[in-house]
Amino acid sequence: MTWFVKQFRKEEWSPYVAGALLGVIGILTVLLANTLLGASGAFENLAGIIGTALAPGLFANTYFKFIMKPEITFGVVLLVGIFFGGMLGALSSRTFKLRWNDDPLWNRVIGPERWKRWVIAFFGAIVLEFAAGIAGGCTSGLAISGGMLLAPSAFLFIAGMFASGIVTTLIVYRRRY
Amino acid sequence: MTLANTVLALVMGAGFGLTLNKAGLTKYRKIVGVFRLTDLAVLKFMMTALVVAMSGLYVLRGLNVLTFPNIPATYIVGNVGGGLLFGVGMALTGY
Repeated sequence: MTWFVKQFRKEEWSPYVAGALLGVIGILTVLLANTLLGASGAFENLAGIIGTALAPGLFANTYFKFIMKPEITFGVVLLVGIFFGGMLGALSSRTFKLRWNDDPLWNRVIGPERWKRWVIAFFGAIVLEFAAGIAGGCTSGLAISGGMLLAPSAFLFIAGMFASGIVTTLIVYRRRY
Repeated sequence: MTLANTVLALVMGAGFGLTLNKAGLTKYRKIVGVFRLTDLAVLKFMMTALVVAMSGLYVLRGLNVLTFPNIPATYIVGNVGGGLLFGVGMALTGY
C-alpha cells in the first residue's frame, strides 16, 4: 500500500501506465454513459450558451441548433472534472502552484516575456478550436476516442496533426533546436 | 443530463485530468517534444490509451456488453485539413 501511495505521488508516471489508465477510463465512459471523451466540443457548447444569451440572432443558425447545442452537455461537465483531476495530480505530487510561463524550454526559445506567452496562447488556441471544429474533434475527442472505435477520421486527423506539428516546430525553432 | 450522468462525467473527467497531469501532457516541453522528436511521451501515452481502449471495447462489444456511441464521421478533406491546422496550433501553444 505504501508502495502504491509512493508511486501515485510521483510527479511523472510512465506514459504507458497513464495511457493504460486513460484507456480504461475511455472504456468505462462508453460502457456507463455510451458517449466519448471529448474536450473541444464543450467549448463550443459554452460559446453557444454565452452567445445565445448575448446575441440570440447571431447564434440562431444550423450549427448551434443541431451540431453543437447551446446547453450543458456531458462534455461540459467533463471539463470541470478534468480541471479538478489535473489539480489532484499536481497536489498529490506537491507541484501545485500558480504559474505564468516558467517552462525553461519556452523561455529559452521564445523568451521570458509574459505577454508573448499570452498572445501566442490566445491566437494559438483560436487556431486549435477552429481546427477541431473543422475536423470534428480534438486530440481527445477525435484522435483517442475516435481511434479506439477504429474510426478512419481519427487516423486521418492524427496524420495531419503530426505532419503540420513537426513542420511548425521546425519553423519556430530553426537553429535553436 | 441526468444526475447519474453528471456525476459520471465529473469522475471520468477527473480521471482524465489526472492521467494527463501525471503523463506530463500539461507541460509545454512535453507537447513540443513530440513534434521535435526529442520526447515521445505524448505518443506513448496516446497509443497506449488507444490500444487498451480499442481492444477492451471490441472485446466487450463482441460479448454484447456494450454498444458503440456515434462514431466520429469521416470526411477526408475536413479530417485531414482540420488535423493540419490543429497541429499548427498545438505546436505553437503547447496545449
